[in-house]
Amino acid sequence: MDAKEFLVQLKARTGYDFCDYSSLSITRRLEKICEENKLTFESLLSKLVTDKAFLSKIVEDITVNTTELFRDPEVWISLYKTMYQKLPSTGTITFWHIGCSVGLETYSSLILLKEIGVLDRIRVFGTDLNPRVLNVAKKGSYAHKFNEHFKTNFEEVMRNIGSKSKFEDYFDIDEKNDTMTVKPFLSAIPKFMQQNLVQDKAPFPYKVDIVFVRNVLIYFNDALQAKVMQMINAKMYDEGMLILGKQELIPNRYSGQYKQLGYVHKRM
Amino acid sequence: MSDYKAVVIGGSAGSFAVVLKMLSNLKVTFDLPIIICMHRLKHIRSGLVESLNVKSCKEVIEPFDKQKIERGQIYLAPSNYHMFIEFDGSISLSTEDMNHQSRPSIDYTLSSAASTYRDKCLGIILTGANKDGAKGLKDIADKGGFTIVQDPKTADVPTMPKAALEIMKPNLILSPDQITDFLNKL
Ligand SMILES: C[S@@+](CC[C@H](N)C(=O)[O-])C[C@H]1O[C@@H](n2cnc3c(N)ncnc32)[C@H](O)[C@@H]1O
Repeated sequence: MDAKEFLVQLKARTGYDFCDYSSLSITRRLEKICEENKLTFESLLSKLVTDKAFLSKIVEDITVNTTELFRDPEVWISLYKTMYQKLPSTGTITFWHIGCSVGLETYSSLILLKEIGVLDRIRVFGTDLNPRVLNVAKKGSYAHKFNEHFKTNFEEVMRNIGSKSKFEDYFDIDEKNDTMTVKPFLSAIPKFMQQNLVQDKAPFPYKVDIVFVRNVLIYFNDALQAKVMQMINAKMYDEGMLILGKQELIPNRYSGQYKQLGYVHKRM
Repeated sequence: MSDYKAVVIGGSAGSFAVVLKMLSNLKVTFDLPIIICMHRLKHIRSGLVESLNVKSCKEVIEPFDKQKIERGQIYLAPSNYHMFIEFDGSISLSTEDMNHQSRPSIDYTLSSAASTYRDKCLGIILTGANKDGAKGLKDIADKGGFTIVQDPKTADVPTMPKAALEIMKPNLILSPDQITDFLNKL
């Protein structure tokens, strides 16, 4: 059995559908899982079909959850100038972070929204397939020492937007337990919810102004990318804006509907 | 120009200077896509592609996800992303775990190129302080591709070429200038 067959079988027998993921990346993930669990594709499949807890664990392991606070600082610095400073001056603004992982992208955005002074009129959603990362996102608590680059990124962004804010203004640091935790005034704002982009609708009823979908579409093939774009378009206001990862472009079929300004894709 | 479909190059410590010289001495008419995966120092995240472009015979680009690989183009793995060559001849990127403490991983780029281009792949391993890349080059050889290892005697840091030589037998072991000559004669 090869990876492709495995995915078809997995879908048929568990309902989990990874068939439209980029083939080399998903194949590598599966091979790694087989290696770590000392299983073949055949034995992995039979275990997944019979063992529910194992299935949840493997689904979580398949997704790639790498993220950072202010990942690619130059992107955030640019977004501050091109987007955050130009947000509408009245009314509620709705943000949606698709594939939010442990929430660091969401909190990065919230920090900039606080810097601009609009925390009181925003609505923020973070969605992801993986319940394990959503739980971390809700707590907003991360290992401290291992993640020192968060602070480096934070300081680079603050320096470049002319802010005097300190890391400790946004995070409580607990040296003893080696954690840093987003302060409650910020972590109380976003709603983190589960959504599988392959099959679920957006889990909230509002239209959105700004959508982040960074480093998520890279794991999908053209067909699934198109499906996600369709869902985004249906949810987004006509003047909406889309933010992709640093090395991503609007999928071909949809590129005519957006105009790119720096790292912002404006709906036309 | 030959039977090859692409040249894939991996390098780590010391390889920037080697690649820079290779690209500046390569004929402008060199028509195969060149796909480069180089480790970067953590604190120097950007600027690599700009520095290469000062001297390169042709523009070097950091590809976008799903970008089609075209003849005559030079691609450099973007910082903090793994770069794969998909079967349809496009590039895909991923941020999954590091391999040999590296993202981009040379093994990933080379192995995916081996699967896609098979015997039409030309793989090169340069100087470097890390084992990443050795297995990828072996995969290229195993699929019938052509392989070159930089002569460890000419390498700033010989760990990477030596790691390759330990697990496979390349078609050629050459100095950087000889590699450039070889490419120019293809
Ligand atoms: C690499 S992370 C990106 C995190 C963040 N956006 C960033 O760029 O820093 C990709 C996220 O997409 C999520 N994901 C993958 N497949 C998904 C799906 N089918 N539905 C929803 N989320 C998915 C993963 O669980 C993971 O958390």
